[in-house]
Amino acid sequence: MIMPLLSVRNLTVQFRVDSGWVTAVDDVSLDVGEGDCVGIVGESGSGKSVTALSILRLHQRATTRIPSGTITYQGQDLLRERGSTMRRIRGSEIAMIFQDPMSSLNPVLTIADQISETLRQHQGLTGVAARKRVVELLGLVRIPDATRRADDYPHRLSGGMRQRVMIAMAIACKPRLLIADEPTTALDVTIQAQILELLRDLRKELKMSVMLISHDLGVIAEFAQSVIVMYAGRVVEEAPVAQLFRRPVHPYTVGLIAAVPKLDSDAPRLATIAGRIPGPQEIIVGCRFSPRCALVQPRCRDEPPLMQPVSDGQSARCPPRILVLGERHG
Amino acid sequence: MTDVGLGSLATASVIAAPRGHGTLRRLLRHRSFMIGFSVILLLTLAAVLAPLISPVDPSAMRVRLRFRPPSSQFLFGTDMFGRDVFTRVLYGARVSLFVGIAVCVISGLCSAIIGVIAAQFRKLDGAIMRLMDALMSFPAILLALGIAAALGPRVSSVIIALTVAYIPAGVRIVRAAALTVREMDFVHAAQVSGASSLRIVTWHILPNCLSPLLVHLTFIFAYAMLAEAALSFLGVGIQPPIASWGNIIAEGRDYATEAWWVMLFPGIAISLAALSLNLLGDALGDMLDPRLKGGE
Repeated sequence: MIMPLLSVRNLTVQFRVDSGWVTAVDDVSLDVGEGDCVGIVGESGSGKSVTALSILRLHQRATTRIPSGTITYQGQDLLRERGSTMRRIRGSEIAMIFQDPMSSLNPVLTIADQISETLRQHQGLTGVAARKRVVELLGLVRIPDATRRADDYPHRLSGGMRQRVMIAMAIACKPRLLIADEPTTALDVTIQAQILELLRDLRKELKMSVMLISHDLGVIAEFAQSVIVMYAGRVVEEAPVAQLFRRPVHPYTVGLIAAVPKLDSDAPRLATIAGRIPGPQEIIVGCRFSPRCALVQPRCRDEPPLMQPVSDGQSARCPPRILVLGERHG
Repeated sequence: MTDVGLGSLATASVIAAPRGHGTLRRLLRHRSFMIGFSVILLLTLAAVLAPLISPVDPSAMRVRLRFRPPSSQFLFGTDMFGRDVFTRVLYGARVSLFVGIAVCVISGLCSAIIGVIAAQFRKLDGAIMRLMDALMSFPAILLALGIAAALGPRVSSVIIALTVAYIPAGVRIVRAAALTVREMDFVHAAQVSGASSLRIVTWHILPNCLSPLLVHLTFIFAYAMLAEAALSFLGVGIQPPIASWGNIIAEGRDYATEAWWVMLFPGIAISLAALSLNLLGDALGDMLDPRLKGGE
């Protein structure tokens, strides 16, 4: 078996609160292969971003602990690496872009200053060489008039432009993995489509893997090859993108897909999932979705369900549904 | 002298930045900067060139010429010992401006460093801020009084005393700004791109905390001049007969009703210096904020 570029195994992340530790990410496993594009979808608070930040080890050390799990990147266990190694990996091997392009750029530095910072850090480029590369990168992310834009301060760019600058910073050192944490959420729909298209093209051009985090199933459907659905800190379903939309298994995934507004529907209200996502402090013994689940059975509340394979490449954390589906097919 | 200096500056800036991108050119166009800068320059020149402007000895006493009101002979009048107030104000500028600038610069640097350390290293934060609270719980002037008294009446001890007294407020300002800035996404973005903590602090956090500190320091300059006056008056600062704006006022206080000019002119000098520094600080604040930079 070929080793994936990034492999997260049984990752658990806990945060310190007044009364002890709460689990924000619980037993999460996922793989990102070379050139893959993996989407992670879930509501706010489902642990998507925490998982991403753990990969780069960017949590406050005093208030976070990772009691179990491994994060392997190209054979290196990132959780055991020294700080200096992590600094080298960040930016040059694994890069990340954030949700809010308005606050992701330093207001007192020009665009060129900020991009060349990464170049200086990882490739030792300074002066004219760095400048040339900056203009090249701005061209690559399709910023018009790159030579002049390079000397602008961030406040003179629109949200979409800033996100392009962020992407230019992220790809400056040709990382092999790009983690995009809700990259289009703060943008309007037209710009959103442009940014996604840009990311798609860059992924091909630079042959990098992308981990796309989003709560928007539409974005995921358009962009990802395989999808991981998270709920309350756990992975509840994992499937290739077409499979997930054609035949969702977990009741939560079914609910999510049903909640996407449809153009051809004349239902007066949008479909919703009743109830709300449990806070990380709430203790739920069995399946974490059971309080909201329409198909709940007594045993769902007794013990936490395990991930089980459903079919090729698809697995879910809902034994009752898998049993029913299996019978129907068999 | 003044004209020549400004003229050559202006010419140089036109040559250096014909497109209007240069900071210098923007500064020269900024009206409050130019007013503040000119006044400070005038006061500084007056201080430096005092012996040339007024060849009289600032400490020479002439008992027969006590309390002469302002006239063509004594521009600002004379004080209770018959000393020429104009000359004393000129010489006083040396001490007052020096104390003000030194306190500003030293306490500014210390506040920036300590404030950022407190914000960045959370383990030290408690200790640093409690120490600052302890210092702040004394009125600044009382604290300075104690330190100056312990160090002896010298210009250097006045500077040290006032620096210590004004550091806590500066630290609080920098720390508060740094705490806000360090949570901003661009700091995370810098971490994600592999920047070291030192680089993040000096490159991303500190520059974003400077505007409030700068504004604060322009006030500190004025406070420091006034506090120096108070310290001198209380006998732990600059000792008579050396003139500083503060101790001229302090000495003239007892005769305020008969000889108002003794207090008025150094008072005007302090106000002018403080006002022009405020204008300068405002202008610098604008300059440091890229959002307010004009562009084509």
